[in-house]
Amino acid sequence: MKTKLFNLDYFKAMKTNFLNRPSVIHDPPHVLENIVLGDPIPAKHFRLDVDHDGIAWLVFDTLKSSANIWNEETLREFNHHLEAVEHDTRVKALVLKSAKERIFVAGADIKLIRNLPHVRVNDLIWLGQAVFDRLARLRVPKIAAIHGACMGGGFEVALACDWRIASDHPSTKIGLPETQLGILPAWGGSTRLPRLIGIRKALDLIAGGKLLNAEAAKRAGLVSHVVAAENLDTLARRLARVRRPHLRFRFENLFSWFIGRTAKRKVLEKTRGLYPSVTKAVDVVSHAVHGDIDNGLLLEREAVAELIKSREASRLIDLFFKREEANKRPAATGTAIPIHDAVVIGAGVMGSGIAHTLASRGVRVLMTDVTNDSLARGLERIHGLVSEATRRRLVTRVKGRDTLDRISTTPVPVPLNRHHLVIEAATETMELKKKIFADLAGRVANDTILATNTSALSVAELARTVPNPERVIGLHFFNPVHRMPLVEVITLPETSPDVLATAITFVQKLGKTPVVVKDSPGFLVNRILIPYLMEAVRLHDSGIPVNDIDEAMLKFGMPMGPMRLLDEIGLDVAAHVAKSLAHAFPDRFPHTDALDRLVAAGHFGKKTGQGFYRYKDGREILPDVHYDLPRHESIQTNLALLISQEAMRCLKEGIARSADDIDLAMVLGTGYPPFRGGPITFARDTGIIDY
Amino acid sequence: MKTPSLVIVSAVRTPFSRAGTDLAHLDAVELGRHAVSSLLTRTGIDPMLVDETIFGCVGQPADAMNIARVVALRAGLPESKPAMTVHRNCASGLEAITLAHAKMCAGQGEVFVVGGTESMSNMPFYFSRPAVEKFTAMSRARDFKGRAKAALHFRPADFAPVIGIKLGLTDPVSSLNMGQTAEVLAREFGITRDMQDAFAMRSHLRATQANHLLNQEIAPVLGKHIITTDNGIRADSSLEKLAKLKPLFDTVTGSVTAGNSSQITDGAVALLVATEEAAAAHNWKPLGRLVSYSATGCDPARMGLGPVRALDAALHRSGWKLNDADVFEINEAFAAQVLAVMKCLADPASARRAGLEGPLGEVDPAKINACGGAIALGHPVGATGARLVLTALNQLHATDSRRAVVSLCVGGGQGMAACLEAL
Repeated sequence: MKTKLFNLDYFKAMKTNFLNRPSVIHDPPHVLENIVLGDPIPAKHFRLDVDHDGIAWLVFDTLKSSANIWNEETLREFNHHLEAVEHDTRVKALVLKSAKERIFVAGADIKLIRNLPHVRVNDLIWLGQAVFDRLARLRVPKIAAIHGACMGGGFEVALACDWRIASDHPSTKIGLPETQLGILPAWGGSTRLPRLIGIRKALDLIAGGKLLNAEAAKRAGLVSHVVAAENLDTLARRLARVRRPHLRFRFENLFSWFIGRTAKRKVLEKTRGLYPSVTKAVDVVSHAVHGDIDNGLLLEREAVAELIKSREASRLIDLFFKREEANKRPAATGTAIPIHDAVVIGAGVMGSGIAHTLASRGVRVLMTDVTNDSLARGLERIHGLVSEATRRRLVTRVKGRDTLDRISTTPVPVPLNRHHLVIEAATETMELKKKIFADLAGRVANDTILATNTSALSVAELARTVPNPERVIGLHFFNPVHRMPLVEVITLPETSPDVLATAITFVQKLGKTPVVVKDSPGFLVNRILIPYLMEAVRLHDSGIPVNDIDEAMLKFGMPMGPMRLLDEIGLDVAAHVAKSLAHAFPDRFPHTDALDRLVAAGHFGKKTGQGFYRYKDGREILPDVHYDLPRHESIQTNLALLISQEAMRCLKEGIARSADDIDLAMVLGTGYPPFRGGPITFARDTGIIDY
Repeated sequence: MKTPSLVIVSAVRTPFSRAGTDLAHLDAVELGRHAVSSLLTRTGIDPMLVDETIFGCVGQPADAMNIARVVALRAGLPESKPAMTVHRNCASGLEAITLAHAKMCAGQGEVFVVGGTESMSNMPFYFSRPAVEKFTAMSRARDFKGRAKAALHFRPADFAPVIGIKLGLTDPVSSLNMGQTAEVLAREFGITRDMQDAFAMRSHLRATQANHLLNQEIAPVLGKHIITTDNGIRADSSLEKLAKLKPLFDTVTGSVTAGNSSQITDGAVALLVATEEAAAAHNWKPLGRLVSYSATGCDPARMGLGPVRALDAALHRSGWKLNDADVFEINEAFAAQVLAVMKCLADPASARRAGLEGPLGEVDPAKINACGGAIALGHPVGATGARLVLTALNQLHATDSRRAVVSLCVGGGQGMAACLEAL
C-alpha cells in the first residue's frame, strides 16, 4: 500500500469507495483537518525497537496511565509508528505488545466517546478503522502478543494482525463487549472476527459481549497459542520466521444470510427489540462476512454512527462507568483490613450461597448451623453450585475443589477469636437474630465485624444487643448469591468508618458491587420494589389478567414480570415484607388483600405449585396471553412511575448516597432495564416526575 | 537443657468405615483433609502457629506422594509451613506423634499437626511386570502397525490385576501374610479358635457399650449421607455367628477368621501437639502428655509379638510398672495376636520366648481395650496408631484416671508402645 494514511485524499476517498480510491475530495473528517503529512509525532505512548533479526517490537505503554486505551492521540501515534515500519526495509516482522502488567489494550476510550459530539465520534471511528486497516495491509507478518485484558478496540487491533498469541495469566481476558454498551465493534471487529472463526461463534461472541480467558479464547479460535507470559516473546520470535497463516475457509459463512436471520429472530425473542445494538450487530456481522473488508467497515461505521446517537447507548455507557466506579472506589474515609477468614451463620439458601461466593473468592469460611442435617444440606447446595460451574467451564475442577476445601462446618460452638468477620444469615426473625448476636458478642474479639444478611429487619435494633455496636453492619446479598451482583451495605449512624471501609473493600473483592444504604425499613431495593409489586397485585385484583401485567413489564424491559416475580419470591414472604413496610410507611403503599387471600388458601407461589400462575413439576402452565397494547402501555406507565417515585423518595430521605447509587442498585438488584439507566434517570429522561 | 515434653492439645478423627462402604468415595487425602480441617475448626487456632505437619500413611496414593503436604495445604495450613509423611506400617500414626516429639527435642518446632490417614478402599491395583513391559513397548511403537504388532503380545494373564492391598499385607521377608503370622502365634501359644472368637465378640460388645464415648472423637462427614459414627461395630455379635466363619489363611486347620481379625477400614485421625511451654503460652488446655515411647524389632514371622518388648522398653523409660497404667490400648490386629501378647506379659516361659527376661505382670483384662479395638472399629493402618492415643486419652478423662499405655504390632516384625498421662 503506497498511499499515506494521512494524506487527506486517501481518507476522503475511503468514505466514498474503498475499492477504487478515486481522489474525490469532500467532507473532510474533522479530526484530520489539522494533520499535515509527515508531521512529527513524539513517541509518547509507544516504543518501537527493531532488533538484529529484523523484528520490530512495538510496545504500547500509555503515558501516565495504568491502562492502554485507544484515543485520538494513541491512534495517531500508533499510525506514525506503522508508517515508520512501512519505510524500514530491515523490518521482517512486527510484534505488538503491551508494557502494562495486567492490560494489553483495554479498548477505546469510552469516557472520551461518551462526551464527544457525534460527528467527532464518527471521525474517531474512521481513524481507528484506517489505522487498523493500515496494520492489516502491512507487508510483513504481524503478531499480537496478548498479555492482560484485550477488549474491544484492543482485540480489534489484534484481529488486524496475522497471529494472535496469548499468555495463560488469569488477567488475560479477550472479547468484544461493545454490544453491552449499546454499540458494536466498529474498528473492523464485526468484519474480521466472522472471517477468522466463522459466523456462528462470532455472533455468539459479539452479541453476547462475553470475555474469554486464554484457554477459552484458544478453543474459540481467537488466538492460536497460549503460553506462559514470560515465553510470549520467544514464541513471537519463532512465529515471525514462519509463513503467515491463511484464513481457513469457513463453510458456514456461505449460509450467513440464513444463520444471521435465525440469530436475529432469537435475539428479538429474547430482547424484545429493546437492545438495538445486539440486533444491529447481528445484521452487520452477517453482511460483513462477504466481499471486501472495506465493505464491512462501511457497514460497521454506518451502524455505530446510528447507535451512538441513541439514548440507550448513553445510558448503558453511563451505567458501565457507575458500576466500574462502585466496583473500585474505596470508602471515602476509614481503613479497610483484608478479610481472609469469615464465619457464616446459617446454612440455608442464603447462608450456603454466601459461603460459596466467599470461598470461591479465596476466603476461608466457617459455616455454622444448629444441626448436621442443615449443614449437610447447605454443603450439598454448594456442591451443586460448584459442579454446575465446573460443568459450564466457568471454573476449573481444581478451582472448584479449592472452593470446597475452604469451607468447614460445625454444628457446635467453637472458638471464633481469629475471625474478623461474621455474617449472620439465619432465619428472618428478630428474636433468633438477637439471640445469635448476643451469643456471638461473647465469643468473638471486640473488633470482629458483625454483619447481618437480613433483608427487612432493623439493623439498629440488632446492634443494640451487642457491646461495641460500631462494628455492626448489614451486608444484604441477593438470591441467588452467586449470580446477583449487588450487595447492599447497610450502615448505622454509629458504624465506624473502618468497618464500612472494610465491608466495601470486602464486597468488591468478592466481585460484587457494593451500594451503601442507610438502615431503614426495606433498605433500598426491596423498599422500591414492594410498592411496584403491590400495585401490580392491585391491578390484577381490579381485573387485569396476570399475563397482561407481566407482558407489559417485560416490554418495559424487566427481566421478569411482577406476578411471576412474586410467585418466585413466594407469596408468603412477599406478604410478610409488604406488611412490615406498610407498617413502617403507613398509607403510602397500594392497598390490596389479594395476597393475603392467596396465602390463606395455601397458595405460596412456585414452591407450592400455585400462586398467580399454576405450576406443574416446577414449570409454569401458561394461560392464554391477551394482547391489548393500549392497556399494556397504561400498565407500564403506572408501574414504572411507582418505581421512580419511591426511588425519588429514597433519594430525598437520604437512604442512598446518590441518585447514581439508586439507579445502580435497581439495575443490579432487580434487573431494572439497564438501557433506561435506572429509575431516577428514567424519571429525568421522560419527565414523568416533576422534581 | 530440659527435654521438652509433648502434650496433646486436641484430637479428632473421621468415622471409621469398613472399606467399600460409607467413606469409599473419599480418598486418603480427603479423609486426612477432613480430620485436619475439623481439628483447626474445633481448636480455633491460627494455622500460622503450626510449625510442621507430620502424617502417617501406609498405602500412599500415587497421586499424592507426600500425602502429608497435600493434606496440610488442602486443609488450610499455610504454604510456608512444611509437611512430611512417615511410614512405620501399622504404627505410622503413632510414629507421627513420636517424631514430633523428637523434632521438639531437636529444637525443630514447637507446635505440630500430626496424625494418620488411610483409605483402604482406594488401594490401587497394579499390572504385573511383564504386562508393564508390553504396555511400554506399545507406547514406544512409532506407527499404528507397530502398535498393533506390540498389542498382539498381550495374553489374558497380563490383564489380571496385582492387588495392592494383598501385597501390602504380606511381609516380603518371611513371605507370610499378616493372617498367616497370626496363625503361627495361635499354634505356638496354644490360642484356640474359641478363645479368639470370644475376644472378638468382646471387642464388638465393648465398642457397642462405649459408642457414646467413641462418637465424641468423631467429626461427622457431611454429604448426601451424614456419617457420624463407626460402621464396623456389630452390636449383635455372638459366639455362634463368629463360629460359623471359615478360616481365611489356613483354610483347613486354621483358626484365624475374618471375624477375629481387624477389619479393613477407611479413616483418618488428626492431633494438635505442642511442647508444654508452647501450650501454656497460648493458653491451651492439653488433654495429656506423652511420657515415653519405644519402637522395637522382632521376628517378622511373629510380628504379632511386637508389643511385648516395645511395652517393656516404654515402661522402663517411664519408670512405670505394668499395672501402674489404668488404660491399655493394644491394637487388635488379630485376636490371636493380642491374646499371645497377654500371655507373654504374664507367663514366664512365654515371656522368655518373646525376648523378655521375665514376665511383666498380669493385666486385668477389663483394662485392655475397654472401648473395643480394631476388630470392631477397624484398622485403617496408617491412622490406627494415632487413634489409640486419642481413644486412650478420652478414656482417661471419662474415667478420671491418670495413666495409659498404647501399643501396636507392626507388620515386618516390629512393635511400638507409648506411655501417656492425662493432664
